[in-house]
Amino acid sequence: MADLHDYGAATRRSVASDFTTKIFVGIGLDRYAEATSALGEVYVAWSARGVSAVRLAGDEAAFEAWYRERFACGCVPAVEDDEIVAAARAKLWGQDVEVPLDLRACSEFEQRVLRRASEIGHGHARSYGWLAREAGAPEAKRAVGNALGANPVPLLIPCHRVIRADNSVGGYVFGSEAKRKLLEREGVDFAALAEVARRGFRYIGCDDGSFCLPTCGGPCGLVAQHLDDDSGYFGLHSLEEAHAHGLVPCKQCRPVAA
Amino acid sequence: MAVAYPCECPDADAILACALAHDVDRAFEQLVIAYRVRIVTFVARMLHDDARAEDVAQDVFVRAYRALQTYSAERRSELRLRSWLFAIAHNLTRNVFRDAPPLAEPLEYSDGAPRAELLAPEPGPEQLALREEAWKSVDEAIARLTPALRSAFVLRYVDDLPYDEIAQTLGQPVGTVKASAHRGLLAVRAQLEKNDG
Repeated sequence: MADLHDYGAATRRSVASDFTTKIFVGIGLDRYAEATSALGEVYVAWSARGVSAVRLAGDEAAFEAWYRERFACGCVPAVEDDEIVAAARAKLWGQDVEVPLDLRACSEFEQRVLRRASEIGHGHARSYGWLAREAGAPEAKRAVGNALGANPVPLLIPCHRVIRADNSVGGYVFGSEAKRKLLEREGVDFAALAEVARRGFRYIGCDDGSFCLPTCGGPCGLVAQHLDDDSGYFGLHSLEEAHAHGLVPCKQCRPVAA
Repeated sequence: MAVAYPCECPDADAILACALAHDVDRAFEQLVIAYRVRIVTFVARMLHDDARAEDVAQDVFVRAYRALQTYSAERRSELRLRSWLFAIAHNLTRNVFRDAPPLAEPLEYSDGAPRAELLAPEPGPEQLALREEAWKSVDEAIARLTPALRSAFVLRYVDDLPYDEIAQTLGQPVGTVKASAHRGLLAVRAQLEKNDG
């Protein structure tokens, strides 16, 4: 019956790319894979909803135990990538792609803080107070710090871009030194920030009529070393000074509440 | 990553069974990858419904996982994975049938020879469209078989399982399975001839 064998081969069905992922939802297991990041190899764990965890790679057993403790769910090494982990790999490589995230283990407040932190762009830094204000809880600086500390998906949500008001880096799940290195690699100039602070400048004004936070990663920010040249940028000691110059707040770093 | 399993493994299914015996959770995705296309295709043929096939096939694997969890390591290592998985798929499609019977009037068997173009060993490119048509008529003919004939026929003549595995899959004696597969074959041929005429 060669004819029917041909029929069998010719009419074989294909499966959707999320076929396996859906089965893993059904059996209540998440999967993880190793990926390359700015901090070296990391484990990326995911469910059908999105990436649930990012941790430094090295000890599978320890990672799996941590995962079970944190998410009340098993996590096993994946054989194949699906679209979710492929997007995470691309983002960890520095590509600007949307990665679906699974923040089910975070409280509503934590999710709000993390979503807002995820909008802080490459090259930018912000203070905990700024993020508290943006998340609608200006008095909750400490809670914001805790929410960032509980970030299950560091790097994918760039909680490392939130630093202290005095420009010291503050805590980080992978250590303060890793945080500083990440920020420096992204173009944050701590020496310049220190110089701006030493001279008592709280904002940076620009000839184009706007003013920024010194930690703004836009074209107007992080230019403390140029403040005395003809760069068109100048230091401002206070909001009043900015207003006196008729400057409007930068839309990227939003130096004042909207 | 390389993991050594404490057994002699003569073929891929045996290796997989050993891996499952060792650690169900870690080996399970390999089982899905090894069988997903075959199971989706089998379910699609049995239901004559591609849209539902993926959902039902996913359910097959979920049930397989739950069963594996209840088995001892020894039982898992001795599983004949192919007939075991097909059996789960067969049972599930049978349940689906019960909810929604097939559309076509089932055929009884009669004598006949297969269509000429189905036997053509090497189709030219101009024949490919013709073949597409031919595959569709095979699909239709299979859909007209009663569930009992259909499962035996598909497993034997399309999925190419040996009779002893089909007997295991369907939970029937080998003689019954042989008779059903043969009756299915005759009915499919008769239907194809009827289309030709």
